[in-house]
Amino acid sequence: MTAEERDREALSALMDGEAQDLELRRTLEATACDGSLRDRWQRQHRVREVLHGQAASFTDIDISKGVLQALETEKPVSRNPLWSMAVAASVTLAVVMGGQQLLLPSTAGSPVPVVSELGGAVVPVLGAQPVQASLGGKALVGPTRQMVNVQDSSQNVAAVYDRLALDRYRALSGRHAAAAAYNHPAPYISYVRIPESHLDTSATE
Amino acid sequence: MFAFRNRISTPALQNKGRCLSSVATLFALCLLMPTLVVAQPDVASPSDPVCSLDTPPEQALFKMLQASAHQRYEGTVLYERAGSRQFVTVSSHIDSAGQGVLRRMNAQADPLPESWPVPFDSPQRACDVATVYLPTLDSGRTIAGRATQRLTLRPRDTLRLTHYIDIDDVTGFALAMATMGSEGNMLERYEYASIDYQSASERDLLDTGQTEYERGRRVVPGYFVLSEDADRGVFVVSDGLATASIFVEPLPPGAPVGEGAVIEGATLTYTRGVRSAAGGLLISVLGEVPMVTARLLADAVRPPREQS
Repeated sequence: MTAEERDREALSALMDGEAQDLELRRTLEATACDGSLRDRWQRQHRVREVLHGQAASFTDIDISKGVLQALETEKPVSRNPLWSMAVAASVTLAVVMGGQQLLLPSTAGSPVPVVSELGGAVVPVLGAQPVQASLGGKALVGPTRQMVNVQDSSQNVAAVYDRLALDRYRALSGRHAAAAAYNHPAPYISYVRIPESHLDTSATE
Repeated sequence: MFAFRNRISTPALQNKGRCLSSVATLFALCLLMPTLVVAQPDVASPSDPVCSLDTPPEQALFKMLQASAHQRYEGTVLYERAGSRQFVTVSSHIDSAGQGVLRRMNAQADPLPESWPVPFDSPQRACDVATVYLPTLDSGRTIAGRATQRLTLRPRDTLRLTHYIDIDDVTGFALAMATMGSEGNMLERYEYASIDYQSASERDLLDTGQTEYERGRRVVPGYFVLSEDADRGVFVVSDGLATASIFVEPLPPGAPVGEGAVIEGATLTYTRGVRSAAGGLLISVLGEVPMVTARLLADAVRPPREQS
């Protein structure tokens, strides 16, 4: 059995929930390094969802972009203590708006044909998009693009959280300074760390 | 098994916990209690013998921490980190609120005063610090006209940062301090340009406004809970020197889970969005700690129903 066949078998076991811990770790590491294996993983998930009567997930829709955009257009730091909630609300709005797109077929308005032109059986499931059920044939055209989008998506999520970290630093550093000052040999340094522009009222209370 | 045993907030935190959403009260969160637990808050008074600090570096550490709480002074300080340099004047003469005064000199001709509290005054702190840092002592340079010794605090594990502290030969006061990252890069430093030691006033002696050093349970090796407000989702932990604040807020519905971080000087801010049976949570850890510590602290946050 080749390494590729072993990986595929392990992936199937993983999908069926039969993978052991060590095998799980190895398989996940393998998928991280092997694009074709990740494609297979995605296809199997799609087939599995469709066979279970679920709407296929459209992983190329990136709601994190909406969140990121919302943060980028956020107003400058306010000293209003309710500001942190304002951020949360705007993030919620962005996610809700982004989530609307999840309900739309990914092919709407797209030149990509609904029915795959590739070989292999197509399983019609009511309410679901046709997908290729046979995994032994030629590779789908789509997955490469989807994988790029998935990677973009995870990068965007990471970027969103980096921005969130900066946002939370600005909002909460005054309160952290108040706590950290008790332990620092030069207690005022905890406050000096906060740029003047980020000072909120809590830092000087 | 779990009890909110040490739900004590410092006065500062009690006053400043208002801006967290009341929604956070839905998540009555706590830091997971590990197997090794300090069962009761460990309150040490300054006179308690708590551990043996026999070596010169340990004694220098003790003296430095004591001086930070007792020494009265006025001075000018330079603070630097990447992309930022500030001159500030400081005075330990306590104001009406029982706090020292700080003024930033960079931008304004007549800068507004800011307040800062007197540090913890407890010999237990020196013991805690000596447990998790390895102190060494070397000869130092002259700072603000004062001869110093170089006290180096190297972490005994990977959960802390390294500190180089130049302490006054006579008073033990920390005249300069540089904090280094895990890769040996300097994150921030401060240094006195001038200092004027003064004797404590009668009011200083009567009303120091000092907060007791009360250790709660240990959540990450070497880090103890100093204060917690589970209803507001605010926790403060420390190893006696480094401090981390953990804030727990609701994660917006539908927001993706993930993590991110930003570092400003020595202060790392780590955020993690998680989903659990109790709902989505946004955990933010702010502290002068390495990333691995921030992650461990975020790991320690548990909603009540997930407590063991």
